[in-house]
Amino acid sequence: MAERLRVDPVACDGVGICAHLAPDLVGVDSWGFPVVAIAALDRDTRRQARSAVAACPRRALFVEDAGPS
Amino acid sequence: MSWPQPAHELEAVELLGAQVHFLPGAAEPLSELAPEGLPAHHARLGARPDCSGVHARRLLDTLDQVALTGRGGAHFPVATKWRTVLHAGPGTVVVANGAEGEPLSRKDAALLELRPHLVLDGLMCAAEALRAQRTVLWLHDDAHRARAAVTRALTERSSHGEGPLEVAFAPTRYLSGESSSVVNALSGRAALPSLARVPAARSGVDGRPTLVQNVETLARVGLLARGAAADTALVTVAARHHSVVAEVPGTATVAAAVSRTIGGRPPYAVLVGGYGGRWVSWREARTVPVQRAGAGVLLPLVPGQCGLRRTADIVDYLAGSGAGQCGPCRFGLPASAELVRELADAHIRPREVRRLERYLAEINGRGACHHPDGAVSVVRSALAVFATDVEAHLRGRCRHEPARHG
Repeated sequence: MAERLRVDPVACDGVGICAHLAPDLVGVDSWGFPVVAIAALDRDTRRQARSAVAACPRRALFVEDAGPS
Repeated sequence: MSWPQPAHELEAVELLGAQVHFLPGAAEPLSELAPEGLPAHHARLGARPDCSGVHARRLLDTLDQVALTGRGGAHFPVATKWRTVLHAGPGTVVVANGAEGEPLSRKDAALLELRPHLVLDGLMCAAEALRAQRTVLWLHDDAHRARAAVTRALTERSSHGEGPLEVAFAPTRYLSGESSSVVNALSGRAALPSLARVPAARSGVDGRPTLVQNVETLARVGLLARGAAADTALVTVAARHHSVVAEVPGTATVAAAVSRTIGGRPPYAVLVGGYGGRWVSWREARTVPVQRAGAGVLLPLVPGQCGLRRTADIVDYLAGSGAGQCGPCRFGLPASAELVRELADAHIRPREVRRLERYLAEINGRGACHHPDGAVSVVRSALAVFATDVEAHLRGRCRHEPARHG
């Protein structure tokens, strides 16, 4: 089952730690809020995603099933 | 009771059957129609059929057959949503959403005020078919006329042995009719949108399977359950000084719906789908079906009015009416609105138009709800449909407002 990283934009405050911990998955917009890649996670990016999820002080990130890919 | 025939044999029945005019500030819609009481409703359509048990499966087949889609604006297939709710198991909550958020739309208000029994029929059919444990009608708290009509209708029906129904009230806000707002409010939280990690159909109000369905959609269910066709479309045409709710053939184009409803000189462009919709030129309006018009709001651009200025007004409204919960709404929309205003005022350079386009790309699809996406759609379509005006404004001129820009 493919997985992907997602952000709950209501919980997110634009702290920005995720963009440092998961540079291959998360960029920031003009106001410093995360723009998360929609691509399915692979072995390298899954490690980045997990550390970003764990480090987010707002608990705004989560990994979800992206359905069959 | 007879059961639905195949679609081509269904007899067409209209929801409203007449135009309903709304004037700003007027206490009552101008229409020859009066709120339809239960005797008149029964005389016109007969009693509501049973939709429980074996009838539920037949109703679902009919919904599939006619491909009924949600008239709140998203046009999601109704049968698909109902099956998801059914499979999610017991304890279901069924909600009729009468809190249309689109500021220009009046069709749901017209339906609730004039045909309350048809809406209630559809709601009770859905509740029976989905074996609901809780059935709710969700209304704006300032919708006094709808509330009065529904209260009267419920009193008339009280002796008919239907299940209990709650009427609940939404705070009057643009986003309180958004599906996740409804679910949050009925679960005891604030009536604000949130990111649904699981669809409401599977886990909604208090974690229970929840159907949130627009009142026009349910009125159509009320007709389909009787074996009548329900293939018209309700539109709200927002004319200069008043709004007109009209029932048009489901196959009508946007241009035909506007011409037949308000007549007069064809407008230069039409905003299709309201404040979260998109501009189309009049030429394109002749090919776009009203069924693609979201919740059916059509706003013709008044001749002589600058489409970019109208767009700036709309984006200002949208920037001011978000829930302010997500980054794109808190920062992206106000920043975009400011640039659209500069564009409308013809005080803008090409570099800033490119910045506006970048902002739109950044905020699109990134809110918990679709509020920012609506603003993106309106602005992007304006930049395309009013491209000639954009060029003129970049040179500090406006052909519609020569006085304002010298």
